[in-house]
Amino acid sequence: MNLKLLVWRQKGPQAPGRMVEYPAPDVSPDMSFLEMLDVVNEGLIRKGEDPIAFDSDCREGICGMCSLVVNGVPHGPDRAATVCQLHMRRFHDGETIVVEPWRAAAFPVVKDLIVDRSAFDRIVAAGGYNTVKAGGAPDGNSILIPKDQAEQAMDAAQCIGCGACVAACKNASAALFVSAKVQHLASVPQGQPERYRRVRAMIAQLDREGFGSCSNEGECEAVCPKQIPIANIAAMNRDYVRAMMPGPLALALGGITEAFEDD
Amino acid sequence: MKLRIEAFLSSTGTKVVIALTGLALYAFLFVHLAGNMMFFAGQDKFNAYSHYLISNPLIYPVEIGLALIFVLHLVRAVGNFHKNQRARPVPYHAQVPVRHTSRKSVASTTMIYTGVLILVFVGIHLFHFKFGPELHVNDAAGQPTDVKDLHGLMVTQFSNPLMVLFYVVSMLVVGTHLWHGSWSALQSLGAGNVASTPRLVSTARIVTLVLMAGFVLVPILIFAFYRGAGGTP
Ligand code: FES
Repeated sequence: MNLKLLVWRQKGPQAPGRMVEYPAPDVSPDMSFLEMLDVVNEGLIRKGEDPIAFDSDCREGICGMCSLVVNGVPHGPDRAATVCQLHMRRFHDGETIVVEPWRAAAFPVVKDLIVDRSAFDRIVAAGGYNTVKAGGAPDGNSILIPKDQAEQAMDAAQCIGCGACVAACKNASAALFVSAKVQHLASVPQGQPERYRRVRAMIAQLDREGFGSCSNEGECEAVCPKQIPIANIAAMNRDYVRAMMPGPLALALGGITEAFEDD
Repeated sequence: MKLRIEAFLSSTGTKVVIALTGLALYAFLFVHLAGNMMFFAGQDKFNAYSHYLISNPLIYPVEIGLALIFVLHLVRAVGNFHKNQRARPVPYHAQVPVRHTSRKSVASTTMIYTGVLILVFVGIHLFHFKFGPELHVNDAAGQPTDVKDLHGLMVTQFSNPLMVLFYVVSMLVVGTHLWHGSWSALQSLGAGNVASTPRLVSTARIVTLVLMAGFVLVPILIFAFYRGAGGTP
């Protein structure tokens, strides 16, 4: 198939960027989206032009490095998949494909389609871990965790930190990412000692990075390659209220919100 | 645990404030609608009720409190909107809604605009029924008393089809705001989990529909059955 690409090109963080059109001839429908970009880049290199810079690593949907907005949707048209898992058979011959980087003040463009996502690292460094020295690996089942809690923690821990949630949100909010990082620890006994300190510190760092706030639309959940639900954001807000509000207010709100927690 | 000021200034804290004030205003709408329904109890009863309400000294602190809640909701929401705009300085060339499980809607993307329209509406509405022209109930000798004839005023206002249209359209705007706002406030305050959130959303929307249907019905019923009449149908 023969395609046209409309790609964001930007030489460096300070340089102005623009959309540039490239032909992508003889694309096999069995190629992955990133392989197609590799082929286009080989052509550019042969012509002595600067290849299109984009992030990738595992190319199997587990590392969270790939980060392209394809035709206006982060990670492209497939649900529950990263853009490295997207294949060219999803497109039709003659189509023009628009490729852009994640757009957020907190994710400045490094070059072309590569953005700097170290804001996420700083949020995790602010409290997304346990400070206790864990020592050697504990015996299996020495800490009993109810199945549903373990599932909840595992579901949240699936977050690969790709940042598609920020890219999809009209406010460039990182609420889904932070809530996943808060919740996977808040769901298990090991996370309890620092539970409220953690949510406070991580949200403070989140705000310092310049992300927007959450409008509860759920575009993030819909693009998330790991399908992390926005109910995690509600759970994070619940912990935040408990961490920040004076007793009566936290009790009242905590009580009200717990009424919706029964199953 | 002591109250920290950042609790109300952080991104999450801001949403908590907007949610709490929004829910307070939502609750007020139920009281307001209950008052509207008193219209159909008859001219004397309705006027007596409204007189009791506005001659009660407690009305001033309640009105001031309500106004403060309204202003707080508005100021924090506008500030939040600007902060969110700054979070994405370079727009997408082509962004499309994701759909799938997303609840993005006309309502959720226009909250700031419907909010501003509601502010304008409230101003006009207060002029129509609170600070505008007044009718008074006459005593036995035919002299006007200090009891306002709110019943008569509503009949006069809603005998005008344009006025009915204005209120119905305004209620559509309010309803749009609450279609997203009602459940979004609950989520901001931390309600819901994977299983219960869908139920929470549909419950909030059904309650909103009932509320708005009530508000839309009042001017329509007055226009249909009381139009031009001094009071009783
Ligand atoms: S490259 Fe690792 S998830 Fe796409």
